Amino acid sequence: MLALTSDIPTPLHKWSAGLKLALMSGAIVTLFWLKSPIYLALAAVLTSGLYLSFSVYFARIGLSMMRPLRFLLAFILIWHVVTGDAQTGIAIVLRLSTAVALANLVTLTTRLDDLIDVTYRMMSPLSFLGVSPKPLALAIALVVRFVPVLLTRANQMQLAFKARSTKFPTFYIILPLIMSVLDDADHVATALRAKGGLDGAYKP
Amino acid sequence: MTTINIQSITYKYGDRTALSNVSLKLTERRIAIVGRNGSGKSTLAQAICGLIKPDSGKVLVNDVDVLNDRPAALNTVGIIFQNPDHQIIFPTVAEEIGFGIRQLGASKHDAKTRTVEVLKRFNRMDWADRPVSNFSQGQRQLVCLMSVLAMAPKVIVLDEPFSGLDIPTKRALQKRFVGLEQSLIHITHDPELVRDYDRLIWIENGEIAADGTPDAVLPDFLAAMEAADAGFDL
Ligand SMILES: Nc1ncnc2c1ncn2[C@@H]1O[C@H](COP(=O)(O)OP(=O)(O)O)[C@@H](O)[C@H]1O
Ligand SMILES: [Mg+2]
Repeated sequence: MLALTSDIPTPLHKWSAGLKLALMSGAIVTLFWLKSPIYLALAAVLTSGLYLSFSVYFARIGLSMMRPLRFLLAFILIWHVVTGDAQTGIAIVLRLSTAVALANLVTLTTRLDDLIDVTYRMMSPLSFLGVSPKPLALAIALVVRFVPVLLTRANQMQLAFKARSTKFPTFYIILPLIMSVLDDADHVATALRAKGGLDGAYKP
Repeated sequence: MTTINIQSITYKYGDRTALSNVSLKLTERRIAIVGRNGSGKSTLAQAICGLIKPDSGKVLVNDVDVLNDRPAALNTVGIIFQNPDHQIIFPTVAEEIGFGIRQLGASKHDAKTRTVEVLKRFNRMDWADRPVSNFSQGQRQLVCLMSVLAMAPKVIVLDEPFSGLDIPTKRALQKRFVGLEQSLIHITHDPELVRDYDRLIWIENGEIAADGTPDAVLPDFLAAMEAADAGFDL
């Protein structure tokens, strides 16, 4: 189990979850609107600066949360360099990594129950359409909560595979990974049911 | 007094029968359930808590139909799983404890107050915002116990809560469990832990093999385990 919310206190921990989500959404929209690699690089530098302003240790955690992206980013960059459009490649890589870093910043500084409450409130207007906000809010929170768990599991399986094989593990671990994730999902469902699940009285 | 009424429960995983027509009426405060791996103990535990739907039969705890009346079941039965990692949903201790309280209908503010009360009771005030991921297995099990107690159930089911714990941690947790005012149903491999319980039920192949005081049942159970040991190979 990976920690989501960092226990290194930052001023952001005290901000309301709604405000942070709104700012993050605004920033990400801006990122997608910016085209020039120079401005995007500036955004990346500012984001890194924000992390560093909290502490070097905090920034290091932020960096380690970017690790799972490294192959994807490298692939995008190489692809564009090969097709002769390095500038677009650099822009996409900067945009994507900055967006993910900002999203991570929200997760690192927001409690999961606050996130559930915000999502719940945001979804509440949908109840006019017969969409119940509770399952949505819980589902979104569970995704946020368990993506890092999944990544850790993938890493463990790669290690277990490497310990007994010289082949590159990626393809071989996909099926076992899916099985183990389904198994985890089963456990989470039981744990949630033991705490009342959707029948519980939880309200934001 | 708490009464757990298990009425001829049968449970199948596909075509494999895990519980076969089990009936029990439990009123004792300290109840142990023993049996070898795969005998159906965890399935029974989940049925007692209304977490799974039996193919036939039902469970009433203090007249609450725990399977169908989930809101009432929440402060009637609580369960602690073998593996705390299968139980803890939230990343920090306070959130994990608070979620259950809010599921009972408390406001966010009240849940916070009651979470602090629980932490105080266990002398673990500093745990509130700690991420569970940095905890040892024993500490995680204590988090599970605190979150279950926060919901104030009448019965707590312990499904082999000590697997993978070292002896001092096991003893410390057992002290916590035995000190509880709630009724306990304790599933275990370790007969020593439950010698002075009020009642001991031995499950074999999804059926009740023996039921009585630990003094009456344990000798036969231990003898059967020794006998199985003789020709046993993995
Ligand atoms: N999710 C499952 N799917 C299929 N079979 C299962 C599942 N869980 C348990 N079983 C089977 O049901 C039987 C009882 O299991 P369980 O209640 O977990 O036993 P115990 O807790 O005593 O070890 C075993 O034969 C086990 O293999
Ligand atoms: Mg079991």
